[in-house]
Amino acid sequence: MGKIVGGFLVPHDPVMFVAPEAPAPKVREKMWGAFATCAERLKALRPTSVVIVGADHYMLFGTTCLPSFLIGTGDVDGPIDALPGLRRGVIPDSSALAAHIADHGHAHGYDWAVARALTVDHAVGIPNQLIVQPLRDAGEAVGTIPVYLAAGADPYIRMKRAIELGRQIRSAVEDYPGNERVAVIGSGGISHWVGTAEMGRVNEAFDREILGYAERNDLAAIGALTDDYILANGGNGGMEIRNWACAMGALQGARGEVIAYEPVPEWVTGLGFVQLHLQ
Amino acid sequence: MSRHVLERVLHQLSVDRYAKQRFKEDPEKFLDRFALDEAERRMVLGFDVLGLQRAGVNPMLTMGFWQELSPERDMRAYMKRLRPVAEGESVHAAALKQ
Repeated sequence: MGKIVGGFLVPHDPVMFVAPEAPAPKVREKMWGAFATCAERLKALRPTSVVIVGADHYMLFGTTCLPSFLIGTGDVDGPIDALPGLRRGVIPDSSALAAHIADHGHAHGYDWAVARALTVDHAVGIPNQLIVQPLRDAGEAVGTIPVYLAAGADPYIRMKRAIELGRQIRSAVEDYPGNERVAVIGSGGISHWVGTAEMGRVNEAFDREILGYAERNDLAAIGALTDDYILANGGNGGMEIRNWACAMGALQGARGEVIAYEPVPEWVTGLGFVQLHLQ
Repeated sequence: MSRHVLERVLHQLSVDRYAKQRFKEDPEKFLDRFALDEAERRMVLGFDVLGLQRAGVNPMLTMGFWQELSPERDMRAYMKRLRPVAEGESVHAAALKQ
């Protein structure tokens, strides 16, 4: 039977790759180190599959189709937006479990959009490379299941729906007949403004508010945030806290531990790293 | 104003190499394929990212469009199109190319 074994909330900041030297050495070492810590802790959970919940950046999906929530049920590769140090390639998948999550969802009122062969973008590609790939490099067999929520282009998935979807993912995993140990990574945020006049602003107060909800698994509070509030205080990039909310829903009742946080204007984001420990 | 068709144009120009090439060769002709009014055409041809955003276009698309195809490409110049930027002010961009 499948089992959720833990979770993480992490950024997927491409500027770390584009301008790695921009922040002060202490700050950048702490951020890269936080990814390494997440990888070590993920390894300790002995996962067989990792669900990575990301946001499209109006890159994978266009004006002809903007899915509210999508799962990759077959081959996975990417990222499509390869960067210096972020290589594109085939990503080992967990297609049987991913297809089961889609089927289970369809049977329970969650009409997943499905990608049979998906080239992910950096929202999945960065956590995959920095947190999951080290396990493979150490000889572990672990598959990546990409999930995309509408958090970059409107209409945005509602916060409450993102949480419910996380719960649904957990139900599907627990209904899976095979032996799967599954970790869930919420990828994104925290506050950042992408392409707008406020780009470069980081709102530490907002970031700490969200980190607090993650520590306490306060689904009611994070689910009550309005889009207007998030846009004003967390920016258009802050809408990605949906991905965090989804992972928090999958790990309902978990204790959150902040591994690291820094507001990093040079990387245009408040970068937060949280481990979700099941109680 | 149609935010929808503007987003269609910018999305195509951000992901479709062939579209990018045709735009570079003859932007006017490329835009003929789309139901843009004159003001919208001017915004695209003039890389008026502020106007595009005011029309409702997603800022991720305006940033990508600027970086891929504008004559300047520079992100400081992009920000200057959106707001006043003081001399000596640090501009930090989420752009994928620096």
